[in-house]
Formats: sequence, C-alpha cells, structure tokens
Amino acid sequence: MRPEYIANILAGLERYNPETTSIFQDYVQQQCESRTYDCYANLALLKLYQFNPHLTKDETITNILVKALTVFPAPDFSLCLHLLPPNILLPTTSAADTLAEAVQKLHTLSILLESGQYKEFWATLDSDDLYADLVADCVGFEELIRVRIAMATAQAAREVDRKVLEGWINMEGEDFEGFVREVCQWTIEDGDRVIIPVNNDNEAKTTVTRENVKFDQFSRLVKRAYEQPA
Amino acid sequence: MLSQQPTTLQNGPRPANTHVQLADDSDDEQALASTLVQALQSNDDDLDDEFLDEEVADPNLLAAQALSLQNTQDNLQARLQAAAQPLDFSAPLEVRFASYDNYCSLFHFILNSQGPVELELPTYYWAWDVIDEFIYQFNSFCIYRNRVARKGHSEEEIQSLRDNPQTWGCYSVLNVLYSLIQRSQMNDQLAAIKRGEDPAQYAGEYGSRPLYRMLGYFSIIGLLRVHCLLGDFTLALQTLDDIELSKKAVFARVMAAHFTTYYYVGFSYMMLRRYADAIKSFSHILIYVSRTKNFHKQNAQFDSITKKSDQMYALLAMCVALSPTRLDDTIHSTMREKYGDQFAKLQRGGPESLPVFEELFLAACPKFISPIPPDWDNSAANVEPSQHHLQVFMADVKNSIVLGPTIKSYLKLYTTVDLGKLAAFLDVDKEELRSQLLVFKQRSRQTRWVEGGLIEGENVNTSDVDFALKGDLIQVSEAKVGRKLVEWYLKNLIRTYQ
Repeated sequence: MRPEYIANILAGLERYNPETTSIFQDYVQQQCESRTYDCYANLALLKLYQFNPHLTKDETITNILVKALTVFPAPDFSLCLHLLPPNILLPTTSAADTLAEAVQKLHTLSILLESGQYKEFWATLDSDDLYADLVADCVGFEELIRVRIAMATAQAAREVDRKVLEGWINMEGEDFEGFVREVCQWTIEDGDRVIIPVNNDNEAKTTVTRENVKFDQFSRLVKRAYEQPA
Repeated sequence: MLSQQPTTLQNGPRPANTHVQLADDSDDEQALASTLVQALQSNDDDLDDEFLDEEVADPNLLAAQALSLQNTQDNLQARLQAAAQPLDFSAPLEVRFASYDNYCSLFHFILNSQGPVELELPTYYWAWDVIDEFIYQFNSFCIYRNRVARKGHSEEEIQSLRDNPQTWGCYSVLNVLYSLIQRSQMNDQLAAIKRGEDPAQYAGEYGSRPLYRMLGYFSIIGLLRVHCLLGDFTLALQTLDDIELSKKAVFARVMAAHFTTYYYVGFSYMMLRRYADAIKSFSHILIYVSRTKNFHKQNAQFDSITKKSDQMYALLAMCVALSPTRLDDTIHSTMREKYGDQFAKLQRGGPESLPVFEELFLAACPKFISPIPPDWDNSAANVEPSQHHLQVFMADVKNSIVLGPTIKSYLKLYTTVDLGKLAAFLDVDKEELRSQLLVFKQRSRQTRWVEGGLIEGENVNTSDVDFALKGDLIQVSEAKVGRKLVEWYLKNLIRTYQ
C-alpha cells in the first residue's frame, strides 16, 4: 500500500517540487528494503530528475530500474527508460559515464527477461561483479525474479520438465524442490515432471463468442409494431 | 430513424464491446452528421450573445477592428488574437523569445489581475487555439534549441540561448497550464459533471466565466500533450482522469481538440503496450473523421487533420501488427490504401519488419522534446529525444514481432503439436521456441480499459489463438466468433412491416 504522505504528493503539484526529491528517494530505499514496489511514485521521482538534472542520484535511478525488473513482463522498465536522458543508451565513450553503463547493463537484463531467455539472464547476472553491485540494495532480488519467472511459466504450461525449470529459475536439488513446493505450491511427479495446477491462462479452451443481444436493439421494432394501425 | 444514436461514437472509446459494430449501420452517418450540426449550432446559440462570433482570420480586418475600438480593451483584443496566431516554422530566435514574453504577460494578466478579467473571447475556439499554439511554440523552441546544440549554427544564437535558459522552460509552461486549471477549478467542475451534479456550484468566481472555463478545460488537454512529449505516458493518461471521453465532451466541439486528444491518448496507450486500447482510440477518431469529412473540408485546419490522420493510420498499422485485431471495414481499407506494403511487412514479422516499424514510428510519433537545455559544451551528448524513445520502443517490438507472427500462423494449423516438430518447422532450437512461446503468451495478455480512469484496466486475453504446454506437447485453442444473426433478423423483421 502507498503511504498517505506519498499519495498526497502524487495527487498535487508537490510532485514537481524539487524539495520532495529526498522524500521520494527515501521511499525508493524503503521499497528496496521491504520488497514493495510503487511504480507511479518512482516515475514521479524520475520526472523530477528529468526536470532538475543536478539533483540526480545515480544510485537511486539504478535502484528504481532494478525494482522495475522485478515486475516483468509489465512495461515498467521501459516506462522508466523513457524518462531518462536521451543519451543514456548511447554507447559510452568516456569511462566516467558510470550511470549510462549501469543503465545499459540493466537494459540487457531487461531484454533477456522480456524475451524469455531466463537461463541467459542468470548467466549474465553472474558474469560481471557490477551486476551484483547494482542489485545489492534490492532485498530478495533473485527470489522476486524467480517468482516472476514461475508466474510466466504457470501462465503457459500445466506440466514442465524439471531440467527446463531448473535452468529457468537457476536452482537445483533440494533448493529447487523447496521453491517449487513451498513458494509455488506445485507438485513434482516421478522426480522429473513438475505439475502446475490449472489456472485461467494455461488451459487452452476453445471458446465461441456468441453475440450479446440487448433489448434496446429491438426498440425500433417494438415502436414500429405500436405505430402499425391495428 | 435518427432516434437511434450511434452508440459507440457517443460513448467514445469506452464501451467494452468492440468498435467494429459500428460498421454496417447506415443510419449512423446521418445521425452523426445531425448531432455534429446540432453541436455546432448549439455552440453558436450559446455563444453568440457572449462572444464575438466572427472568425477573424484576416489580419487586416483585425487591425481595422483594433483601431475602431478604444484604449486598453482593444489592445488586449489584439493580443488575444496574436496569442492564437501560428508562429512561422522558420521564425528567428528573437521572434521566439518575444513570443514567449507575450504569452507570459498575457497569462500573467489573465491569472494575476485583481479579480477575474472581464474579457470577451474573440471566437469560441480561441481558447483551444491559444493553448494549442502555446504548446506548439514550446515544442518547436525545444527542438530548435536542441538542433542548434547539435549542429552548432551561429555562435551568436548559442550565446543568446545560453543566456536565457529559463525561456520556454518546462516549469513555466507547466505552471501556466496548471494555474489555468486551478483558477477555473476545472477539476472540481469536471468531477461534479461526472457525479451528475451541476458544475456551476464548484466553478467559483473565475471558473464561471467562459474565458477561464475554456482555458482551464483545454489546459488539461494541453497537459496530456506536454507529458506525452516529455515521455511520461502514464502521467499523460492520468491527466485525463476527470474528463469524460465521449463525443459529448466539450473538446469534441472543437475538432482539432477532439482529434489531438485521441492522438495522444492512443499514442500513450501504445507506449504502455496496451495495443487493444490504442487501436480503439485511433479507430474511434479515424471513423469519426472519415464520416464527417465533408464538414472539415471547409475547415482551415483540414490540412493538419489530414496529416495527423495519416500518422494515426501508421500507428494503427503498427498496433494491429503487434496485436492482431479485426478493424472497422472503412478504416481497414483506408489503412491498406495508405500503408498497404508496409502493413503487409509488419504483419509478416521477422527481422525484415523492424526497419518498417522504425520508419513508421519516426513518421508518426509526436515531436519529442527534452525538458532541459542541451549540453552546450559537448554537442555529441545531445541526442534527438525521438531517437531515444524509438530505441526503447524497438526493444519492446523486437520481442513480440521476430517470431510471434510465424508461431501464430503455425499454431493455427494444429490442435496439438509436438514442440520439437514445430521447432524444426521454424528452424529454431527447441528451447528457444519454448521461451518464445512464453513470450507469445505474455504478449497476448494485455491490460484493457473497462471503466474508471484511462490508466485503469483489466488483464485480458487479446489473441484469438491460445495454447497450453504439457511437457513437450502444445495444445492449441482458438477463440471463434459465432455467427451474428440479430442484425439480419431485425432488418428483415422491419422489412415485413413496410
């Protein structure tokens, strides 16, 4: 839930006041620690940075982006990118431009998640210490991502090969079984098939949409019937 | 005949049923034409007493009129006229600076005089013109400034831009728009209308006057536009929370305002990946334009409407490629006429479609701006904002379009198919296909507006082909549309009475 003081700022013109920057910054920190997420507040902060570049704090920007990764496939990561300086995705020329480098690294992660390349996502995350630094502030980052990948899986499948899922969520052995049973509440059969309960999305039922007839459509007809001389 | 209102148009893009139903009712056009005339007439009736009703497009007439009137009042009238006059695209910097100062003093006068200003509006659409022109000049100034920084024209220009970083600043522009909204208590008034109450009791001293009311109202549309230009698509849609999007809405009375609103709403939806909602917005306004074409031909803004229509057809083509939907027949055929080749490529998908997406996006997107002055000392750091937005957009597009359409066309052929077999057809790795299927699934689920603010919505399946994985087995299902009989039945029943 969004705290009241944040809701008040968002509802009024205070959201443009550079002095609220620090309030939003603390709020981002709080989201990182408490595993919560508030997209609108974070976008408002990025907008303040957009208008007042001298107030920009690189670390807060990357934390916002990391939090946005944890809600994929929602478009939040892209929405944040749209508010960053236009040159942020340009190939960096100077070593000094650490923000651009960090943002581009996170963009790579986002693209991997969005395109379903989960194994590559974990490999990339492990490939560079910079990634570890970037996600360090976000408590439970790996688990949040795992849950999202599990949700994507449950959306499409009722049964999935254990090896495949192990690769996707980057877990093996007992840890894997624990996650699947406790967090996802799925079952494992014969040791190598993960069974996912039926939900709205993974059933693939053929439907026929029938037309919806409203009485209003007959109003002309009824009127005509009245007007007709008996 | 006319008693039957064209329901879909009346209610804007809101009804949950599809826009397609409009297509075959021949009464619509007549009904629509008559409501349009009514709207215009009632407008004139309302306004004749209060406003000067002539369209003062002719500057000579204007000058003559200004002379014939007396002291400050006529001076003011001339300034009001000037505020709505389009600025030449190639206007030099001094003119742009001067124009900014003019707007500042005009808005200052309107907002900060003692008590509300007693003014007669030159025309009833003046308020729209002035907000429209104000934002246009802000927009074109930012683009100009950015171009100067990148291309490095004259030192003189750079210096005067450096010296005036506050001119056409985004804070002052937003300040004007928000102040106009607050002065007229427009949000309270609109909320009252939504609740079905009389807005007048919330209007206050300022908001009850047409000058403030209209400026306040159109400032909301102005905000939608500014937020969109700055890349804040969520806030853009939230700005319209209080405005009822319908043909009866006030903005619908000024064609250019009606049109602009739907363009930016549709575009924002597209950037939020809510293609179904975007398609609905674009279709709504394009149908409206195509049906009322004959009225607009006499309109001075006809050219700009035509140009914006073309842009919307391009956006529509992209959205339909990303989220296949059956369009209204008229709209569909016009789209094919204008963008037939491109549309075919977009629909086919694959890497070949990507340049077409880029081309259409750049041709049809708003002229994005960066809110802050460019980096004068490092011209390489100044990127055109539209390139940045394009890059972000294309990353989204790539995901859905590279394999999506091909997968879909294969799935349609089967009720069940083995993953390995399909991978062989598509000539991709089995695991890659599995991932792509997950992406396909995600992309077929979209947030779609049902009720409430424009940003609200429910998660729905927008694809007619769906599937489920059971191990390596893909089970395919299709959403079919049953035969539609009621229309046919009604038509023939009516016929028996004749």
